[in-house]
Amino acid sequence: MDPQSTSFPDTQRQSSWLLSSRRLLCFWLVTLALVARAEPPVASSEDVELGRRIYMEGILPSGEPLKGKRQEAVQVEGAEAACETCHRRSGMGSLEGNIVITPITGRFLFATDENRPLALVDPRAPKNLTRAHTPYTEESLAKVIREGIDVSDRTLSPLMPQYALSDVEIKAVLAYLRQLSSEVSPGVGDETLHFATIVAPDVDPKQREAMVDMMRTAFAQRNASQKVYSGRMRMPIDLIPRTLRNWKLTVWELQGAQETWGTQLAENYQREPVFAVISGLSNTTWAPVHSFCQQEKLPCLFPSVTLPPAETAFYPLYYSRGVALEADVLAKHLRDQGKNTPRRLLQVYRDNKVGRGASLALTEAMKGSEIQVENRVLYGDEPIELKAALKGLSSKDAVMLWLRPADLSAVNKAAPKQLPAVTYVSGFLAADNYDFVPKTWKSHVRVVYPYELGAKRQKNVAAMKEWLKTWQLPLVDEAFQTEVFFNLLFLTDLTSQILDNLYRDYLVERAEDMLSLDSNVSAYPHLSLARGQRFASKGAYIARFAPDGNLVADSEWIVP
Amino acid sequence: MSLRAALTLIIFFAAFFSPRPLLAGESNDGQKTDAPEYARALANYDTPDVAVIRQDGKKLSFGKELDDGRPVILNFVFVSCSAICPMLSHLFSKVQTKLAKDGQKAHMVSISIDPENDTPAKLAEYAKKFGAGSDWNFYTGTREVSIAIQKAFNAYRGDKMNHTSIILMRAKPGKPWLRVEGFLSPDAVAREYHTMLQQP
Repeated sequence: MDPQSTSFPDTQRQSSWLLSSRRLLCFWLVTLALVARAEPPVASSEDVELGRRIYMEGILPSGEPLKGKRQEAVQVEGAEAACETCHRRSGMGSLEGNIVITPITGRFLFATDENRPLALVDPRAPKNLTRAHTPYTEESLAKVIREGIDVSDRTLSPLMPQYALSDVEIKAVLAYLRQLSSEVSPGVGDETLHFATIVAPDVDPKQREAMVDMMRTAFAQRNASQKVYSGRMRMPIDLIPRTLRNWKLTVWELQGAQETWGTQLAENYQREPVFAVISGLSNTTWAPVHSFCQQEKLPCLFPSVTLPPAETAFYPLYYSRGVALEADVLAKHLRDQGKNTPRRLLQVYRDNKVGRGASLALTEAMKGSEIQVENRVLYGDEPIELKAALKGLSSKDAVMLWLRPADLSAVNKAAPKQLPAVTYVSGFLAADNYDFVPKTWKSHVRVVYPYELGAKRQKNVAAMKEWLKTWQLPLVDEAFQTEVFFNLLFLTDLTSQILDNLYRDYLVERAEDMLSLDSNVSAYPHLSLARGQRFASKGAYIARFAPDGNLVADSEWIVP
Repeated sequence: MSLRAALTLIIFFAAFFSPRPLLAGESNDGQKTDAPEYARALANYDTPDVAVIRQDGKKLSFGKELDDGRPVILNFVFVSCSAICPMLSHLFSKVQTKLAKDGQKAHMVSISIDPENDTPAKLAEYAKKFGAGSDWNFYTGTREVSIAIQKAFNAYRGDKMNHTSIILMRAKPGKPWLRVEGFLSPDAVAREYHTMLQQP
C-alpha cells in the first residue's frame, strides 16, 4: 500500500465549536475552496524570482532592502528582515524557545480539509502539530504580512515583523510560497526512501566494512521495526501518520584520482537519486564530495573525514573541522604556556592532502607567536626516514606528529637521543593507537584529543557497544564507529520529526537545530549546531598518559 | 425582554459567530497571542564566581563585572540565533540610546548561551552590528561557565534552542533583580528600569 494514501483519523481538524455545525462548515469550506481556486494557479517565473529575492535575501523588486517593523519602531532590514531568517529555506518554519514559527509554504497556507498536510511544530512536545485554519487568499496573506493579523483574525507574535509590501510584492511572495517545498525531494519513492554512503578509495578495508555493516544492520532494524509500527503506541505522535517508507542504503565506492570523483558521483546519483548521504569515509580529501553535495542540493550528514573543506556550504554537515581544529587547539595551548613555551615547534607530516592541510593550518595558527615553526616532511616507510625527520632536536623544542598509526609505529626505533620537551600527537590521525609510545617517552607525549575521555566517554559509548554486541558486529575503532552510530540514531530522530514532509532543506534545518538531541551517543563531549553552523564539535583536550596507561585530560576542553 | 436577557443573547450570538476563540493565547502553537504582554517578578540570585571572556578577549571575573557600581541590565543571546536574539539585541540597542539620552550609565550585559561557537571575535562583530557602545558588553566562556550563569539566573533550559526572552535588571549589588519575560518594547524596558531605580 502506498503510505501516502494511508487514511488517518481526523485529529488535526479544528474542533472549534464555531464549526460544530457541519452545514456551516461545508458552506465555508466550499466558499473558501472556490476562492482559493479562483487564484491564478500558475505564477510567472519572474514573479517567483522576485518572491525568492524577498524571501531569501530581503531585497525588494526595486533593489531596495526589505524593511520590517516590530513593535515601537524596532526595525529589521535586508537579509535580517528576509522571511528565510525564521521560516527557513524550506518554508517549514522553526522553533525557538516557546515561539513556534509555522510552515508558510503554499501547501500549508492554502490547504483545505481534503489535502491538509501535517507538520510537527515542536519535536520536544509530540502533540504540537500544525493546526487547521481556513485557507489563505491573496487578500488574507496581504493582511497577515502587512498587519500581522492572521486568517483566523488573531494577532501574531511580536516576533513577526510587519512589512509594508505593495500588491505586486505580495503577489511575488505568494508566487514563491506556492512553489516552495511543493514536491517531495528526489530520492523519495512511493515506498522507499533512498540513502547513500560514500567510500573514498584509500580507506582501511576494516573501517569500510565496519561502517557499511553498521549501516546495513541499522537500516534493516529500522525497516523491520516499521512493519510492527502500527502496534507501537507510546506517545501521541505514534498515532500520526508519517513516512513508513523503507530505508534503502546504497554504497557509492569511489575509485581512482580525486579529479574523477565528481563524475563518478554524478553517475551513481543518476542511477539512483538519493534523499541524503549518511556518513562516509575518506583518509584524504573530501572536497569533491562536498562540492557534489552542494551542487545537487543533497544533504550530506556527518561523514568520518579528517579534513573537511574549510569553506562551508549549506548541505554538507560535519562532526568537526578535523585536523584543522586540532591545529588551532594546539596553537592556543602553546600560546598559553607562559614560561614553558617551547623555543621551536617542529611538525612532521606526510606530503599528502591531510598532512599538508594540517601543517598549513598549524603554521597559520602560530603566526605572530614567538615560537618558531619548522616543517619536516616524512618520505618513505623506513624508521630511518622518521629518524632523519626528527634530527637536531633539543630539550627546548616541541614536536607535532601529524602521523597515522603505520608511521607512528616507527617512532620507537626513530627516537632521537635528545628528547624534545613535548611530543604532540594528532588524536584524529592516531585513532587511539598509542602502543608506539616508548616507555621513556610516555611522560613527554601529549595527544591533541578531540573526543571525550574517562568515565563520561564510557557512558556516551556504552549504548553503541551494547548494540554492536547484540548484532555481533566487531569493535574496530571506537571513536569512528560512534560517529556512524550517532548518525544512524540522529537520522531516525530527524525523519520521525519531519513526518511526511520529505524535503531536503527541511532535513538540514532540523539537523541544524538538533532539537531533541537529549542523548549523546558519540565519542565527542557534546555536539551542537545552529543556523549557519556546520561543525558540531568545536574543541579538543590536550591529554597525557596516566600511570595506568590510560589517556587523561591535561587541559580543560580548549575551544580555539 | 429584560435588559439582562437581551445582553445575554447579544453576548451569546457574538460569541457564537465570532471567528476568534474565546480565550486568546490558549493556542498550543505559541505563535498566536493577543496583545504583547510580559511577566515581571523580583528575585534574588547569587552571582556565580566564574571567569568570563569579554568580546575584546579580556578574561574577567563575572562577579566583578556585575558589581562595578553601575546598574545592570542583562540578557542571554547567541550569534547564530535567528529569531529571538536579534530582536532582543535590537531592543538593547534602542534601550542603550534611550538611556544615553536620559544621561543614565547602566552596564548592559549580554551572555552567550552558545559559548563554543561565540568566540570573542564573533561577539565583537555581533556587538558592532547592533551598535553596542562602551557600556554594552558581550561575554563568553567555557560551556560550563555559560551554563552556571544561566542556572544562577534560572534561565537554563537545557539547550540553546529552548531559550526564551528574559531581561534581568538590578539597581546595585545587594538589591533584588527585576526579571521581565516576554516581548517588551524599548519604552517598556526603559520604564521598568527607571521605576526600579526609584525604589528605595
